[in-house]
Amino acid sequence: MAAIVAGFGMPHNPGSPALVARDGPQCETARYYAQMAKHIEGAAPDVLIFFTDDHFNTFFLDNFPTFAIGIADATAGPNDQTPMPQYKVAVAGALATHIRTNAIAHGFDISLAQDFDVDHAVMVPLHFLTPGMKIPVLPIFINCLAPPLPTAQRCFALGQAVREAVESWPQKQRVAVIGSGSFSLEIGGPKIPIGDRAACTPDPQWSQHVQDLVKEVRIDELVAESTAARMLQAGNIGGELLNWIALLGAIGPRKPVTVLPQNDHGQAFVAWRLN
Amino acid sequence: MSVYAVNKICRDALHDLAFRDAVKRDPAAAIAPRDLSGDERKALLAGDVAWLYDHGCHPFLMSYLTRWDLFGLSPAVYTARIQSAHDTRD
Repeated sequence: MAAIVAGFGMPHNPGSPALVARDGPQCETARYYAQMAKHIEGAAPDVLIFFTDDHFNTFFLDNFPTFAIGIADATAGPNDQTPMPQYKVAVAGALATHIRTNAIAHGFDISLAQDFDVDHAVMVPLHFLTPGMKIPVLPIFINCLAPPLPTAQRCFALGQAVREAVESWPQKQRVAVIGSGSFSLEIGGPKIPIGDRAACTPDPQWSQHVQDLVKEVRIDELVAESTAARMLQAGNIGGELLNWIALLGAIGPRKPVTVLPQNDHGQAFVAWRLN
Repeated sequence: MSVYAVNKICRDALHDLAFRDAVKRDPAAAIAPRDLSGDERKALLAGDVAWLYDHGCHPFLMSYLTRWDLFGLSPAVYTARIQSAHDTRD
């Protein structure tokens, strides 16, 4: 039977590959991604499930899913002009089909994408975690950017449904789950101060609070507090916390083994090991 | 209201290099074929991002315009103008 063996939460800033190329392996972002990569190596997963949000690149507002799953032989990216190498990576299509079937049976009307590429939200983490692109991925897209957002309770339950599906998959596979995104980030909105950047971190305190709840395994409180209003108060990209909440539903309540905060950027790198 | 068309213009500015160059050369001509209301066209050509925000345009997509100073929107101009948008989240 398949099993979830590790969980990871991390940001996906499109500027990170260029920043690390410029500042080298000793810069904080490089070191934090390297620590996550070491955990990935130790967990030796056969599949990486991504809870991720699309930034209007894979999908657009002509048809923007609340939840979608990518089922194909392979995907490629980034598809959004992110300054980094282009990659192609296999998709765990059979497991994805099983998860979709089970999710629908559990009441999640999850959309299907069979011909898709992915943006920086998947490819920036992969660039640092598995640059050889040897581990198949399984992207599950959550609408974190275009209100009305799905509720935190719904995303947590989706994560639980994904775990049940993984655990009922007859193949012996080790699965790692990744939640991709920030806790506090505003891009292009009125919270940005006047200056030379169209982005800011409006609420580093919320970022720290989220991490405190995660570290203390107060997941019920985190889910209850993460209303759309509260997440969006932390910035118009604050809904990316939903990717983390789905991850928490998938891995169950447990203490993380590594927590690396970057509250000035409203984000963190966190790892959980399940066995 | 055709907010969708404004959002699509912002997305195309990222993904469609020929369209981006056309906007740089002659913004009014580049967006002439797009299905915009009169007010939207006027706001976009004036770089009035507060008005566009208040009428439903997505800020993440609008922020693309600052990468190439499209419609006169340098980051400094954009961030100054977006201050007067109505943030309903607080």
